[in-house]
Amino acid sequence: MSESIYYFLQQIANGLTIGSTYALIAIGYTMVYGIIGMINFAHGEVYMIGTYVAFIALAGLSMLGIDNPFLLIGIALAVSIVVASAYGFSIERVAYRPLRSSKRLIALISAIGMSIFLQNYIRLAQGSRDIAMPSMIKGGFLFGSPEGSHIMISYMQVIIMVTTVLCMVGLTLFITRSRMGRACRACAQDIGMTNLLGINSNNVIAVTFIIGASLAAVAGMLLGLYYGVVNPYIGFIAGLKAFTAAVLGGIGSIPGAMLGGLILGVSESLTGGYLTAEYKDVVAFSLLILILLFMPQGILGKPEVEKI
Amino acid sequence: MKSIVKKTLIGMSVSAALMGTSLAQADIKIALAGPVSGPVAQYGDMQFIGAEMAIEQINKKGGVNGEKLVGIKYDDACDPKQAVAVANKIVNDDIKFVVGHLCSSSTQPATDIYEDEGIVMVTAASTNPDITLQGYQLIFRTIGLDSLQGPVAGRFVADSIKPKRMAVIHDKQQYGEGIATAVKKTVEESGVDVVMFEGITAGDKDFSALVAKLKRNNVDFVYYGGYHPELGLILRQSAELGLDAQFMGPEGVGNKDISAIAGEASEGLLVTLPPSFELDPKNKGLVDAFEKKNQDPSGPFVMPAYAAVQVMADSMKATGSTDAEEVAEYMHKASFTTPIGDVKYDEKGDLTSFNFVVYNWHADGTKSPAK
Repeated sequence: MSESIYYFLQQIANGLTIGSTYALIAIGYTMVYGIIGMINFAHGEVYMIGTYVAFIALAGLSMLGIDNPFLLIGIALAVSIVVASAYGFSIERVAYRPLRSSKRLIALISAIGMSIFLQNYIRLAQGSRDIAMPSMIKGGFLFGSPEGSHIMISYMQVIIMVTTVLCMVGLTLFITRSRMGRACRACAQDIGMTNLLGINSNNVIAVTFIIGASLAAVAGMLLGLYYGVVNPYIGFIAGLKAFTAAVLGGIGSIPGAMLGGLILGVSESLTGGYLTAEYKDVVAFSLLILILLFMPQGILGKPEVEKI
Repeated sequence: MKSIVKKTLIGMSVSAALMGTSLAQADIKIALAGPVSGPVAQYGDMQFIGAEMAIEQINKKGGVNGEKLVGIKYDDACDPKQAVAVANKIVNDDIKFVVGHLCSSSTQPATDIYEDEGIVMVTAASTNPDITLQGYQLIFRTIGLDSLQGPVAGRFVADSIKPKRMAVIHDKQQYGEGIATAVKKTVEESGVDVVMFEGITAGDKDFSALVAKLKRNNVDFVYYGGYHPELGLILRQSAELGLDAQFMGPEGVGNKDISAIAGEASEGLLVTLPPSFELDPKNKGLVDAFEKKNQDPSGPFVMPAYAAVQVMADSMKATGSTDAEEVAEYMHKASFTTPIGDVKYDEKGDLTSFNFVVYNWHADGTKSPAK
């Protein structure tokens, strides 16, 4: 293979890594939109909180003398999922449920308020500086000749991609096979009718928020380990990118969120690799505008039918 | 009707009382403007501990013209928008002397306000040359310029490193891009091949595309113009993705946090910094005073901030006045002995001489002079 193919594949691998995490966060936006038709702008902050909790758990566990990296990561992941889910559940209970019957704009403002509140609360509790964490998993796979052209994929990148695939498969099984998953799909179709048929839609909505928050916590933990830093502001830009991914793929559609995340990640990485890193956000968001102009429902979204 | 009159009277007496207190304060207030919060707050700390130490020591010796100095912190978070708000607040609080701001991009918009409102400003950290190019009378610094720092770094690269394929990366901000451009110009004059000159987005976390590109271009030396949060991640991701290149950065990357972020990957990073004033035997007493308070005097902006307060205080003493214009006029003419050496200003408000030195950074957050 020639050098330029190796380079292309390297950039694709980098793009898929970052795209996977966008997809994980985007699920939270798209599921909530699919069911209650509102955009949960506080979702990026749940991702940020997930990273903080994972860091705190990792630091605490290593102080207790646990040094097996897989055990450490496993426990920290569990703690982070539980705490982030509690946040996801509480956000819905406190900021959205009381407003559910009011206009959409009011819930949206409540979401933005929640986002600002969480960001500043973490800033006060944890300080505004970057908190760093040494890399726990070093090294990677090398394809090609180490001296000449090659592709280098770090173990951490592999872990990110594999975990994302596992989460996506798990989520798809849950939505298509389980009772609760069926209830979720029913709520997405017609929430009033679902209530009439004896399904408690409040529970379904709470479960949706918990799933979204858990996946955001997984993304937070993975990216925290990959980059090794966290600060209270990471939720904003990550949330914006994930929201873009959700819209790109078709908001409300779960496979769409996955696809949108990957497209966004790869397009950013290719722009950084072939044009210049300065323009990667420009290209990513131009892509979004183009897709919205020509396919307003997104790539995999269904055209909105006005319900009478 | 009666109650309205009553309320108005109360309101008037309250505002009169408030005005009374602001007039009654005889202390000389100095605003300390810099980042208390935000990603580069540790540089703010350096500036604050240096300025506060100077204020404390001057007050201990009887203050200025019989009055005490009072330092008041203002948080601009190194955000240009917030810096303007802070500058307006300082104007409203009727303060005539400012130490700050820290980041060049914050200092720049604030200088206009200070110059127009008759406030003397001394920055201990902003190194962008544009800040003093506007013909201001009241704006000074106690630190060198990127146009000095860039050539020091560039000459070091051209003479001692002699890279074959060099890349210059910056964060597109006033400070980072300014210094990166100066470095590029200097090395190209010496015949070094700069194969990449590229900007990144400050606050970004993923640099894998950039690292892959550096690898592809067989870059063996990278100069980064910007601050430590981004360079730390670039170093870390370069090590993970197997990029074998030497990195160098300006004083904006030289603090302990870069070692926390990049870990082992920060070993051997080259950094241009102001000289280690804390190692100067003349500053022994001052260093002891910092250590007694458990503060670290080795940050690059600690002594410049001390000097900033001292220069203003000395000028107030010499002129016997707290009038901003008189003090500034004296600062332009006189020369001062400070912990950063002898300070003398040119007509722009820049130091007539200031050295930058190249250091080797270590993974434990310490530094040693580079050969």
